[in-house]
Amino acid sequence: MRIRDLFYETFSAIQANRGRSLLTILGIVIGIAAVISMTALIDGVKASLVGELGLSQSRTVMIDCWPGREVTMDDIDALEAGMSDDYEFITVASYNSGTISNGVTEEQGTLLGVEPDYFEAMGTKAIAGRLIMQSEEGAGSRVILLDQTIANRMWGSEDAAVGQSVHIGNDDYTVVGVVGGSGMMSGQSFVPLSTMQKRMSGNSGVSQIIGFAREGTDMDGIAARTESHLRSYFNLPEEDPSSPDGSSYYIGVTTMASVIEQLDSTMGAFQALMTCVAGVSLVVGGIGIMNMMLTNVTERIREIGLRKALGARRADITWQFLLESITLCLVGGAFGIILGYAGANVLAQFASLSSEIGGMSVTPVISPTAVGLASGICVGIGVLFGFYPAWRAARLDPVESLRYQ
Amino acid sequence: MASHVIHAEKVCRIYSSAAGLTPALRGVSLDVERGEFLAIMGPSGSGKSTLMSILGCLDRPTSGLYLLEGIDVSKLTDDELAHVRSTRLGFVFQSFNLLPRATVLRNVMLPLVYSRGSTADRELRAWQALAEVGLPESLYTHRSNELSGGQMQRVAIARALVNDPALILADEPTGNLDSATGELVMRTFRRMQERGKTVVLITHDSSVAGWADRVVHIRDGRLLSDEQERAYVASLAQREREALVGTQEVTSA
Ligand SMILES: Nc1ncnc2c1ncn2[C@@H]1O[C@H](COP(=O)(O)OP(=O)(O)OP(=O)(O)O)[C@@H](O)[C@H]1O
Ligand SMILES: [Mg+2]
Repeated sequence: MRIRDLFYETFSAIQANRGRSLLTILGIVIGIAAVISMTALIDGVKASLVGELGLSQSRTVMIDCWPGREVTMDDIDALEAGMSDDYEFITVASYNSGTISNGVTEEQGTLLGVEPDYFEAMGTKAIAGRLIMQSEEGAGSRVILLDQTIANRMWGSEDAAVGQSVHIGNDDYTVVGVVGGSGMMSGQSFVPLSTMQKRMSGNSGVSQIIGFAREGTDMDGIAARTESHLRSYFNLPEEDPSSPDGSSYYIGVTTMASVIEQLDSTMGAFQALMTCVAGVSLVVGGIGIMNMMLTNVTERIREIGLRKALGARRADITWQFLLESITLCLVGGAFGIILGYAGANVLAQFASLSSEIGGMSVTPVISPTAVGLASGICVGIGVLFGFYPAWRAARLDPVESLRYQ
Repeated sequence: MASHVIHAEKVCRIYSSAAGLTPALRGVSLDVERGEFLAIMGPSGSGKSTLMSILGCLDRPTSGLYLLEGIDVSKLTDDELAHVRSTRLGFVFQSFNLLPRATVLRNVMLPLVYSRGSTADRELRAWQALAEVGLPESLYTHRSNELSGGQMQRVAIARALVNDPALILADEPTGNLDSATGELVMRTFRRMQERGKTVVLITHDSSVAGWADRVVHIRDGRLLSDEQERAYVASLAQREREALVGTQEVTSA
């Protein structure tokens, strides 16, 4: 029997039993929908976290350092010199807040004074114009990299903002570029660190220390080395006090790689739960398929007898029924994939509505791997649960089958 | 012996069912030569369909020997038997056994699906076979459950011819046909015979049997030649007369 004939038989059989087939594949539809919505959501959450938090910067190390006194640029230089084997560079940010105005509108914003290295370490990209340059940091230029929201409120678009000037305190700053970012990164504008130190009052000093590891460095090792280096540099004991307060001290080193790992393990628990749900409905669906195929075989005993009498071999009959159950499962899988993505989109909508403050938007990700996996599962179930009915059909005796009423 | 398409020796077929054992064939011996047209006649329940199943390699004898074209069928595996059926045999079933939802053409093409020949000329061969049995072309694309009994029977015959089989086995192929269409079908079988095919057909109708070269009779699972059949019928009539006389004696007494 040729492949084409097999498909012909399969489709005409399913066509003839449309209603019953649709009901039978519901279990498969639900199971596959669970698999797909789960992977789509997890991948979507991962993608948005990675995008928004700059988690893609796997060589970035966040160093939280409160040794009980002000951290100075000299401390940073000493740290950089002491750990030059590990770090390509160490950069800092200084926080300030202020009123930014363009003469018409006034906006409250967070200002970060940064060295240009900072952008490389954090993976910051300008969505219009450009980033702050090293020469501007050296000269203490009055330039600003403006937050997207502020730029939009002031001039209507990011591109219109570039080249404009804004007042902060008594000074005018030229907008060289606009940065985007939602969630944690939103509402931040950047000026050169030297400019901030010279011209703005109420600076927080060194409020954020960021290291950029050398290519190929072991990230767990670098975190441990940095922590012990800092403890010995500031003469601090091995352990931080259990409840840190203002007068106390704290050293914490976090690599972005470890944040991603942690995220993976949280997602893993969710994934395990959904896998159970999917597994149960797939098994139930598979049993439904088997039941329907057994009914099919019984209903079509005379047809099977006839086919055997006309020369069908066991393999021909086995394949005919096996292909039918595989096709049913695949059709169920196709519906499940569509339903799964639709469900994931609805869930994502709810998720972004409820976390409006964070403003994190999750876009479900359609991955070829997930679709491939789902199709593979469907074929597997079709074979597993379709084999017994097909085998029974193939073993029927032609004479007795032809006499069957 | 090689020229014998069918060589059966003391073939027995005993059915076992919940009701007990039913010996449907009790030592049937039969030789059919290549190109012969044989008719088998017998009353209902005498074992005609059982014999056809065995001759058509659908069933195996409980005991006895059956050689089809010199090959001992009982030594073949199921798949080898299937191959023999799809390439050497054309079978017309007593109850047509068409696929009800498939079209007439698809039904006729079904044996070609399993004979692994080329797919290109399938439809052409189905058309030729349907033309042989004189089915109107307008019906070819109808579903087979939309046909009359006689039309279904002709589709079933066309399906048996489509593989160009060496041996055609037909179980009451004219049972549902009017005499004109029946004659057309018998002419078809004769044409097949003229092309070198062997035809074995079962019938109740002695005018249909008249088309055959040779007629054998079957009673209670045993084959009888024409003379034996006449003797049997005569003895049966004799016994009936005696029985009748017996009852008259009883009533007069
Ligand atoms: N599968 C079976 N199981 C048990 N008994 C059977 C079976 N098939 C046939 N028989 C019995 O064998 C005998 C012969 O049956 P068969 O079908 O060969 O008769 P037939 O000559 O074809 O009759 P008809 O002219 O009515 O078709 C009958 O008595 C029948 O009851
Ligand atoms: Mg019969």
